[in-house]
Amino acid sequence: MLVAMPIENPFQDPLRFERRVPECTVVIFGANGDLTKRKLIPALYRLAYDRRLAAGFAVIGTSRTALSDDQFRDKMLEAVKQFSEDTEFDEDVWKAFAAGLYYVAGDIDDAAFYEKLAAKLKQVDGERATGGNALFYLSTQPSQYGRAAQGIGGAGMNQGSGWRRLVVEKPFGRNLETARALSGELHQVFQESEVYRIDHYLGKETVQNILAFRFGNGIFEPLWSRNHVDHVQITAAESIGVEGRGAYYQEAGALADMIQNHLIQVMATIAMEPSASFRADSVRDERSKLLRSIKPMTPDEIRRDTAPGQYGPASIGGQPVPGFREEPGVDKESGTDTYAAVTFFCETWRWAGVPFYLRTGKRLPKRVTEIAIQFKPAPLAMFDGDAPATAPNLLIVRIQPEEGISLKFLSKQPGAGMRLRPVSMDFNYGSSFGERSPSAYETLLLDAIVGDATLYTRQDMVEASWRVVEPIENVWRETKHDFPNYPAGSWGPAAADRMLARRGHTWRKP
Amino acid sequence: MGTVAPDHILKELVDLWVTTGKEAEGGQGVLRACSLTLVAMAEESDDPMALGETLAALMPEHPARTISIRLSGAAARTLTERVYAQCWMPFGQRRQICCEQVEITASDAALEDLPSVVLPLEVPDLPVVLWCRSVRLAAMPEFDALAQLAQKVVVDTAPIADSRAALELVASLAARGIWAADLSWTRTTRWRETLAGIFENHSYLDGLARTTKVRVASKREQPTVRSWYLAAWVMDALAKVGARPRLEMTRSEHTGVTLEGEDWSVALERWGARLVTTINGLAQCTSLPAPSDYDLMREELGILRRDPIFENTLSSALKLVHAED
Repeated sequence: MLVAMPIENPFQDPLRFERRVPECTVVIFGANGDLTKRKLIPALYRLAYDRRLAAGFAVIGTSRTALSDDQFRDKMLEAVKQFSEDTEFDEDVWKAFAAGLYYVAGDIDDAAFYEKLAAKLKQVDGERATGGNALFYLSTQPSQYGRAAQGIGGAGMNQGSGWRRLVVEKPFGRNLETARALSGELHQVFQESEVYRIDHYLGKETVQNILAFRFGNGIFEPLWSRNHVDHVQITAAESIGVEGRGAYYQEAGALADMIQNHLIQVMATIAMEPSASFRADSVRDERSKLLRSIKPMTPDEIRRDTAPGQYGPASIGGQPVPGFREEPGVDKESGTDTYAAVTFFCETWRWAGVPFYLRTGKRLPKRVTEIAIQFKPAPLAMFDGDAPATAPNLLIVRIQPEEGISLKFLSKQPGAGMRLRPVSMDFNYGSSFGERSPSAYETLLLDAIVGDATLYTRQDMVEASWRVVEPIENVWRETKHDFPNYPAGSWGPAAADRMLARRGHTWRKP
Repeated sequence: MGTVAPDHILKELVDLWVTTGKEAEGGQGVLRACSLTLVAMAEESDDPMALGETLAALMPEHPARTISIRLSGAAARTLTERVYAQCWMPFGQRRQICCEQVEITASDAALEDLPSVVLPLEVPDLPVVLWCRSVRLAAMPEFDALAQLAQKVVVDTAPIADSRAALELVASLAARGIWAADLSWTRTTRWRETLAGIFENHSYLDGLARTTKVRVASKREQPTVRSWYLAAWVMDALAKVGARPRLEMTRSEHTGVTLEGEDWSVALERWGARLVTTINGLAQCTSLPAPSDYDLMREELGILRRDPIFENTLSSALKLVHAED
């Protein structure tokens, strides 16, 4: 008698169940580092706590530090207790999770280390029934990405009985050339479809909600073009300084650290065309097309339409705050930008002529990330001059700290006469959906395990963003800036205000 | 005889927003949030505090105009009402979010008057969900007219000791064209999801067609409705892959479900607030606290459409129960 072989899992209930999560081993390179302790392991523990991981789940940590499996588990226990911000610690869940934690010590340049790692991976697969699936997470120095990938390939770990994937953290190169070189090294071992370039901004709930807002509703699409949008402002402000990361930050700067990846991806999400489906490559194709449509600037345009900044010392609330050059590990003559403002234009029919202003900075007055879409004014001012010109229709997508969407419009003030005043219609993500939002790393790790690359950056997107950011970096590097040019606690340099004033615009004060 | 006028309630609702807005601190006003009309029916004996807390907890995620109906059981035909707002200040924000609450008390005799009160109070263009917390009410003939006002009717058969009668009650709602939901079924979700997750592994999935035995254990002398649902769902799924295992409904210290093949076994067992999953002897423990009414309703309010898997399982569970008899 013939027995029908199951093709699909007959137990699935898509109406009620969360996504299907396959079993796998996550191999973390740099497992003794900050990212592993602060983000990765707490996120994986939370997923285990929420029953989001398959029973056959394991982690192999690797770094140069000699540790036993048990010592690694102890270290990760400390990390979970210290860094799991909104997750109750459950002893039994931890024990079950910790039983799947393993460790292999070794040098990333040592071929013998990869042989040991391959043996451990095989052993763990046997013990935990991980289906031969493995996710390699490179949480190391970016300069080691290529060598780590080569080592994985050299030991044959890029292939197996299950799927193999590689997650890399930004920066994806320091410019277009190095981004391509890195990609070339990774592609010698992994196919592009197996490489997951993580951008934690895209894992934030509100950034994902932009897609739902734009493409799940029919009423906004007709407004979403040069016909109605005057300009767009994307702001990512931090109130803190470099917080002990001065030496690292000095090499990166605000433009490369934030705009080249996070903000330009957010811009792509706001401005991309609707994709034919919500499949990963379909969405990424549209995001990529938008990035490729951003017009690279000439040196003259860069001098006019960008503004670098660096914070100087100030007193905030009576508390003296050092300038960037006074921060530990920072060169006293440093020319690094701690603030960057850029004007981008997309050469598409939808967005031609609409400026996209992106700004980011450290030591700004408050921590806030938001997108403000300013609409064109009504074509005829039929009410008295009381309708303030400074109160345009605005659609504000707040990413942090209060996730939500607000629409600002004019309304008649109650009483006699026709006096208008701006009012706000608010949607608060946290209050409309009381459920705890997963952290960006929970979302992105789960996506990588499931094989959903929608929120990950593809190589063509990386190259497209370097193509517009690298010329800016080059001009800034060649220019002698009068740094510091904004005091800590202010909204950035005057040059950034002038950049907008040239087109009759002003920065919002979020 | 006490009566209520829907027009009066609607005016009270309008006044409520004016008052609440004026009373809000800082002149910020309040935000009205509403995504559905939720009609909650309960017996007078049902703890009003607990029900109020459950409804309040549901509001941030499923903001609704809540019409809370308490059946007093009294013989005289009486209806009374009050209107108030349920507000909360989201963390770190400056403005309160508020939902409307209408509380109606009715005697059993006034049950037939309720549809004419509820109908005008429904929020236009938004779905209506009827949550009936009393199985006695659900079995009353007047209940039908109220149920017809809603897109979805949620009942909880857990208190019904006779599983057959419980399943027949739910089936009778479905037979009348009502989208019925049973919280006894909702209680199986986390179990079913865990089981489904295990069989995402193709090496286990491949063996599923050779399942020889399914055991569903409950703590009670007689299998609960929840265990019948679980058993029916497992057997339906196995039938899809050609398996015809033997089903055992057993009593045990720990509730659970076990699937066995010739050379493999998968067991899920609840130990207190934990779920222990054992696959071929390898055990894994995760947190599985008993779901509260809030957890269950939160899930059900998220599903405002037909649930074909539940409908099939309900039908299969009835067949299993009848076969057992």
